[in-house]
Amino acid sequence: MQTTNGAYRRVAAGTIVALVGLAAFLFLMLPVRSHLTIAAPALVFLVPVILGVVVGGFVPGALGAVAGFLVYDIFFLPPYGTLSIRAAQDWIALVVYVVVVLIVARVVTNLQAARQEANRREEDANRLFELSQALIGDFTLPQLLEQIVATVQALFAPRWTVLLLPEASAAIGVEDAELSVAARAGQAITAEELESLIAAGGQTRSLGLPGGVVPSRVAVALVASNRPVGLLVLQEVRLARQDRALLGTFANQAALAVERAQLQDQVLRSRLLEEIDRWRRAMMGAVSHDLRTPLASVKTAVSSLRRDGDSMGAEDRADLLELIELQSDRLARLVTNLLDMTRIESGALSLRYSPMPLDELVSEALDAVSGLVPPARVVVGDTSDLPLVEIDHLLIAQVLANLLENAARLAPEESLIHIGARAVAGASGQLVEISVTDEGPGIAADQREQVFEMFSSHSGGDRAGLGLTIAKAFVEAHGGSIWIDPHMVNGARVVFTVPGAAQVPARV
Amino acid sequence: MTKVLVVDDDPSLIKALRIGLTARGDDVATAHSGRDAIAQVALLHPGLVILDLGLPDLDGLEVCRRIRQFSNVPIIVLSAYGDERRKVEALDGGADDFITKPFGMAELEARLRVAMRHADARSGNESETPTVVAVGDLQIDMVHHMATRAGETLPLTSREFDLLAYLARHAGKVCTHHMILKDVWGPGYGEESNYVRVYTHRLRRKLGDEDGRMLRTVPGIGYQLTSDTPTE
Repeated sequence: MQTTNGAYRRVAAGTIVALVGLAAFLFLMLPVRSHLTIAAPALVFLVPVILGVVVGGFVPGALGAVAGFLVYDIFFLPPYGTLSIRAAQDWIALVVYVVVVLIVARVVTNLQAARQEANRREEDANRLFELSQALIGDFTLPQLLEQIVATVQALFAPRWTVLLLPEASAAIGVEDAELSVAARAGQAITAEELESLIAAGGQTRSLGLPGGVVPSRVAVALVASNRPVGLLVLQEVRLARQDRALLGTFANQAALAVERAQLQDQVLRSRLLEEIDRWRRAMMGAVSHDLRTPLASVKTAVSSLRRDGDSMGAEDRADLLELIELQSDRLARLVTNLLDMTRIESGALSLRYSPMPLDELVSEALDAVSGLVPPARVVVGDTSDLPLVEIDHLLIAQVLANLLENAARLAPEESLIHIGARAVAGASGQLVEISVTDEGPGIAADQREQVFEMFSSHSGGDRAGLGLTIAKAFVEAHGGSIWIDPHMVNGARVVFTVPGAAQVPARV
Repeated sequence: MTKVLVVDDDPSLIKALRIGLTARGDDVATAHSGRDAIAQVALLHPGLVILDLGLPDLDGLEVCRRIRQFSNVPIIVLSAYGDERRKVEALDGGADDFITKPFGMAELEARLRVAMRHADARSGNESETPTVVAVGDLQIDMVHHMATRAGETLPLTSREFDLLAYLARHAGKVCTHHMILKDVWGPGYGEESNYVRVYTHRLRRKLGDEDGRMLRTVPGIGYQLTSDTPTE
């Protein structure tokens, strides 16, 4: 309706231009008509008629030609005031005028039609460009599907748009799979419509077939590499010829994009599997190293006792037995750590938060490593002003114990280990920052991130084994963070944060 | 009484080994790091080194190589289960034998004994290239290219003799396929471990050592010629 209205309006405007122009020229030239040659008015009258054609097309041209003919004949060809014509040359002028007007009108009209066609194509190309823009981008598959239906809905304004994909869309290459709704836009779909969709949707169809019994439904197959990828269904939509072509082109592009996203999905999935596999291998390596280390000394000590226990001095025997006990404790602690970590990572362990004063946490950790870390080596800073910590004390005590054990193992014997703490403001409330500082060899700058990662003992830098990895997992399960203080010159300082119980004062 | 240097970064293993070896009558020194180990070998001239491959400062392989630059002390490497590549590298780098953690004292002592015995034999004729090498009842005459076992001459081909002579010169040391190929077959070889398998098989037949007690197979690693098979 819009376009026909516009056309009428243009024809009317063109006609007015032509007629008004003719009238204007008539009044201008009438007083001087006796001084003009026969051809001059004809040339002048071409101008308004061609203007009319430019504005309104052929119809104003034809009307203008008739009007021009009459005006020319009546007012400018003697005898004036009549339609009769006297001289042969006047006849020629009149006929040439009419012929020229008609030809010019025809040519201009064709040119205009061509220009309009070009405009329309450019517009189509622009729309298509915008459509394809919608498909480019770092979308996940679901995002892309949403984007496709949203674009189609916005452009063609059907009642609804639905994109059907074969079930388990990740499985590329499955033909004749059941289709299911993967994305939709527009108004809600009724249950009957949905049923008719799925029932009709077993097989994808080519462009533009009205979907069987349902009127004005358009289903477009998305085909990539000669393989149906999915089916795009538009309900209650009126498509002009060029809209249909546009929809078809868009469907092809959408098909390619969907296929690409599906492939990308697969690549991501296999990369994830690879990553998990790599992690598992690193984990296995680290676990076996950490379990083997205490086991090695236990086995050596036990076999030594069995062979030569009788000939050993009582002190040596006691030393070996003590060693066996301590290393067994170390093994047991490690196994508990590993189990807890596995359970946290699989989501099977939920943290049991409770408020606890720091000194209690410290003594729990010291108990856990009593054999490995002599309490005399540990210096605890003043914690009396600090808030309680809101933690799962079993896990955080393990963290502290791991750090103490590392410090005791790596720093020179008899050197001191400092435990410090201070309250800091965190983004989501009060935090307590706990640090363990040793006088050992320290950690090289390029190792400060890596020490928390699972690593194989083969790097030569057999620093911490799993202790720090486990500590990191536990701290992060509390929403805290753990890092190596980069400002230490001598020794190493490991710092971690735990949530503080802000409301409860430490000492009442 | 042997002076044994134990190198490991795990204090409890060092402690267990110190007590265990001392109880056997050895004189035990310890080192916690690679640099410390190298210094102690230079200063104390131990009769044997037990070297863990995972050290905090230097890689165990590097320690092995550096010690070899100035000392022929037998080195027994401690390694983790399944770490064949590192074992081979350590042996190529000059280690004499390896033992996998965790290990019992009996196994360790057997390895120590083999290494010590052959190291003593080697050092006896260190001054000049020996003309005759003896391993148990096996006699190998390098000059006349002749080998006898219990007085009986063995009918060896030239390559078989070269292989036996090489293993005998390094008796007690675990020789990797790579080392054997490089020396016996020539520098162009190194990966063709099946050659070595074929020849050791023939050698064993001719030595009357079908069960490999003397020419011991170290699975996945190489071979060791010894008069004293460690009891496992």
